[in-house]
Amino acid sequence: MSCFTLRKQDLDRLVKTLGREWDIHAPVKKQGVTNFEKVKDAGDIVLHEHSYLPLKRMFFRPRETLFRFDRGKLSVPENKERKKIILGAKRCDLNSIMRQDIMFLGETNDVYYKNQRENTLLIGYQCKSAFDKYCFCGSLDLEDCQDLMLYDRGPVFLVEATSDKGESFAKKYMKFFTETDSEPTNEEKIIKNADRLRKKDISHLYDSGKWKEGVDQCLSCAACVLLCPSCYCFDIEDENDMNLKSGRRVRNHSSCQLKSFTKVADGHIFRESREDRFKHRIFHQLQWFRERHGMNLCTGCGRCIRFCPTRIDFVEMINRM
Amino acid sequence: MNEYVPKKVKITDFRRETPDIVNIRADFRCRHNPGDFVMIGLPGIGEAPISISSYSDKYIDLHIREIGNVTNALGKLKKNGFVFIRGPYGKGYPMEELEGRNIILVGGGCGVAPLRSVLEYTEKNRKKFSNVDLFFGYKSPENILFRKDVSKWKSKFKLYMSVDRNPEHKACFNAKTGFVTDLVKKSKLIKENSVAMICGPPVMIKIAVDILKSKGFREDQIYISTERLMDCGLGLCGHCMIHGKYTCLDGPVFRYDEISGFGSE
Repeated sequence: MSCFTLRKQDLDRLVKTLGREWDIHAPVKKQGVTNFEKVKDAGDIVLHEHSYLPLKRMFFRPRETLFRFDRGKLSVPENKERKKIILGAKRCDLNSIMRQDIMFLGETNDVYYKNQRENTLLIGYQCKSAFDKYCFCGSLDLEDCQDLMLYDRGPVFLVEATSDKGESFAKKYMKFFTETDSEPTNEEKIIKNADRLRKKDISHLYDSGKWKEGVDQCLSCAACVLLCPSCYCFDIEDENDMNLKSGRRVRNHSSCQLKSFTKVADGHIFRESREDRFKHRIFHQLQWFRERHGMNLCTGCGRCIRFCPTRIDFVEMINRM
Repeated sequence: MNEYVPKKVKITDFRRETPDIVNIRADFRCRHNPGDFVMIGLPGIGEAPISISSYSDKYIDLHIREIGNVTNALGKLKKNGFVFIRGPYGKGYPMEELEGRNIILVGGGCGVAPLRSVLEYTEKNRKKFSNVDLFFGYKSPENILFRKDVSKWKSKFKLYMSVDRNPEHKACFNAKTGFVTDLVKKSKLIKENSVAMICGPPVMIKIAVDILKSKGFREDQIYISTERLMDCGLGLCGHCMIHGKYTCLDGPVFRYDEISGFGSE
């Protein structure tokens, strides 16, 4: 794969040129909160900032109409999506997208996810060091799963093509990119101070009494799951129109932290205790997904700790166990 | 293909089996294993996972206990009406692997329904299996399922039936009064070359497993069926996950040694 340089002063012209053909989503800061938004002007982009909401919402949308029904007839809504570029996604979020791809495009061909996901080009931005004290992506063996990666080198970006799609994209816009022999150094590939999770295997910790310190503070509010870029649980519900004859079947983001998540028809709840629910999420993230797919579900973005209302730091808890 | 969109299917037969269980026979042709399930529902109400209780390439039988929103609505349907089905899903009983073995079925209440699929498979392939012993228990005489099948089963297999209570001494195919697990306890079971399949309420499963183990059965000779809420049936929504395993993909039938370490969950 090739590497290119892109002068920072050319970024705005690039954004404007691409904007004719693509929707460009990049981190934008508004009233102190950074999120991915559609941009037309590179001046609005804050590349070094972490987004508050996870990227998964672009593809695995918080609310998806699976089909409409009307007097026994079902119809799937048509989806006309413009081509998208995600610009400035961090390595943690990019790896989470790869995990979402495994779930929604692997054994199951989820057409709703696929509609949003195909025709998307992922351009990452490599963090130089941990964004804040909650990051731990360095402990989780993240990979290159974007199409292009930007490395910040002062006045220029070093742009590394990491997929065929990324390579042909860069070659199409050679008026902005200059091919170079320079490659990202090993040092540039390491995100400093982000390796604070010190245990690789938590399988023996399930029965540890030390989970209690986190569980005691947990409010079961599910903020961790909603902000997690990797979590993929959902509910399917039917919504009726006022005439009670038509309506829609929708899929909404859900959470294993909610008590009702495992409730069956006769009222029995399988994960009744907060401890069982709390551990369920951690073990799915750091063990069970790996047993199935060979990688952790968690990518160490730290959102579930950063935005936990009681700031439960499960990484520190595991380290202490 | 869109996995979430169910097929509109005709109900070719609809009958009430017990005060709270109806049988829907649907014109839904699919290849499935005994123990597999489908998502059945009605637009505007929702879907529920229901085990297939037949083994036929012409239709599927579903025995539905009216207990939640969806199942109560399904209980009000009629013959020649329509219902929406997708599937089949799940990993049922590995019948081909079990050829040549003795089969012991232990079912409680609505849990007998998936086992009837095993029975119909066994009837069609009778020579491939040795002894077939059935232990079916119900709450009371009026809760007995598959009344039409009882005499046929009695002639072909060893059928033990129980009702938890029968204060008015109603006719109930000579079922013993007591728990079905007591019948298992009292019976002489051959453990060599046998497999037991248990389906029913969690307490019954637990007691039945303990009894079988005390009779010398190994955990890998026992199959249990798990019940979980499911929204998708596709191994995605997460509702049915038990310690990293999806009931809808890896189950609902599990060999006991695969999940015995999971505790109360």
